[in-house]
Amino acid sequence: MAELDDDRAAEVVIDTGVDPTGAAIVTVSGDLDISNAATLERAVASITAERPERLIFDLSGLRFMDSAGIAVLLDAAGKVNAVRLRDPSTAVRRVVELTGLTDVLSIES
Amino acid sequence: MGLVVTAALALTSLTVYNRNERRLLNLRVRELNLVLAATVPSVETPLASAAELAHATGGSAQKFRAFMSPYVGNGRQFASVSLWPLATSRLAPTVVVGATPVLASMPEKARQFFAHAKPSGALNLTGILGTAHPALGFEFTAAGRKPGFAVYAENPLPANRRSALERNNAFSDLNYALYLGHSRRNADVLVTSVARLPIRGRQASDVVPFGAGVFTLVVAPKGSLGGTFFKDLPWITAVVGVLIALAAALMTDRLARGRKRAEQLAGILDRVAAENRHMYTEQRSISQTLQHALLPDTLPEFKGLRVNALYVPAASGVDIGGDWYDIVAVDDRRVLMVIGDVSGHGLRAATTMALVRHAALAYVAQDSRPATVLAKLSKFVNSGAHDYFATVLCVLIDVDAHQLTITSAGHMAPLLLDGEHGEFVAFHIDAPVGVAGNSHYHEATVPVPANATLVAFTDGLVERRGEVLDVGLARLRDAATKQQLPLDELLVKLSRDLASEDHQDDTAIVGIQWQN
Repeated sequence: MAELDDDRAAEVVIDTGVDPTGAAIVTVSGDLDISNAATLERAVASITAERPERLIFDLSGLRFMDSAGIAVLLDAAGKVNAVRLRDPSTAVRRVVELTGLTDVLSIES
Repeated sequence: MGLVVTAALALTSLTVYNRNERRLLNLRVRELNLVLAATVPSVETPLASAAELAHATGGSAQKFRAFMSPYVGNGRQFASVSLWPLATSRLAPTVVVGATPVLASMPEKARQFFAHAKPSGALNLTGILGTAHPALGFEFTAAGRKPGFAVYAENPLPANRRSALERNNAFSDLNYALYLGHSRRNADVLVTSVARLPIRGRQASDVVPFGAGVFTLVVAPKGSLGGTFFKDLPWITAVVGVLIALAAALMTDRLARGRKRAEQLAGILDRVAAENRHMYTEQRSISQTLQHALLPDTLPEFKGLRVNALYVPAASGVDIGGDWYDIVAVDDRRVLMVIGDVSGHGLRAATTMALVRHAALAYVAQDSRPATVLAKLSKFVNSGAHDYFATVLCVLIDVDAHQLTITSAGHMAPLLLDGEHGEFVAFHIDAPVGVAGNSHYHEATVPVPANATLVAFTDGLVERRGEVLDVGLARLRDAATKQQLPLDELLVKLSRDLASEDHQDDTAIVGIQWQN
């Protein structure tokens, strides 16, 4: 019964690092949805715990994100002053636009 | 040799089993503690909202009655709710919804209780009132409002303090007793499963904070704890005046963990593996029952409008979602619709959803303008530490004027259907409630064609993995305009056609149709 969840989990790859300007970078690739958003949540929690000034989500390799993914990004935005989304795909961008979040999660291309 | 191995395995199994029984008992009492503590908001929020409403309206009986009525009666949170002005020499309720409170016939006790109740916005508990038909009371006075109003609710305790469901054999493997305060005296027992107190034998106890007071909980297994679970939880919590559903929520949460434990043991005990399968099925049905219990059981009827709503649980998994909807009459010609989705899944989302939903209803009762409702709701959510957000769509419908006033906090725009034509309502969408720094909401007024249909929905209906959201929205519009169907059939069709087969998110759909 444990594999019941695994069968349906989307594939997501998460990399974390710091860029030359000192901003924390989280690179998210693959598909992010309700089945695996918790993975990102854990990764982001360990970063926000260190209170970085800026946090950039590099989403250039993220094909798809649903509202569970948005929840993780928003949670980060509540803890870090400046959260930016770098190079999101159209699918991801539309989720941000349709939930009225363009002011909270600024998009840079 | 084989026999020795078998014997050793059997012994190991027995040891593991015993150790697990002890661990399970300790876990159970802690879990039940959580159940009870988690129910505080669902008792407190309606009373707190009513206290604020009473203050804002100068104790309007009509507003109080209209707001409280849905919470009072058989199978609902409270048996009796009353409004007590405090700045008076003769304490008496000015409005009573439901049964006459026992406290009203005990002026001295009432005086003492209201004098000693903490006026700081905490839920206060009376002692056990009355002897023939004992009851437990809850009181809430809005913080910093003096001289103000107290909102008082009461629930009867079961006859002889025994759980009425006790004879049901599904409840046969666990004994419990719940006491008021730190006491273990028989006089202070609120509800128990046993005929003779105190409970003896292997047991665990815990103190449960509840508002400004505490309960003491004692549990003991009758037989194996690996068997059926705390099914009387709904009853215990019903006694303390809570949505039965919330108990089911925790039970689901606990069952989810129980399932994990069971999975670990499965290699050792076949019995557990069989039960594992049983629990999974049971858990899923509890989740579904719960979600239905949290949503309105009947929708009101309005002249000139047909309204319908559907809730579709996730196709797989056992999680409870945070989707909800409400449709309420504002006055003779206006109706307010709220649909929303609290982030996250499982028990916490369901509890949070109940909190946000009740708060929204309270703000609607004060002032039904959508932007005002959402601004207050946002302030309410942001006023405390929180780790959730909620998308909420609030639509005020003027039936006669054929007009909508609409505000969205991060929630997808509804679809407006006019025969074969369908368009998503175009207006500014603000950030979800619970997102820091957002307190202003835009409001748009939209004319509605005669015989139009408004379809509001949560994201489960249109979201599919690997797809731009617009594709899902277009699919919804096409499905909704392809053929003209009666409203109820339309909603069923949309939910069937659009939710993908393995949808992991729950979905709510509300349809509102103008009639001539």
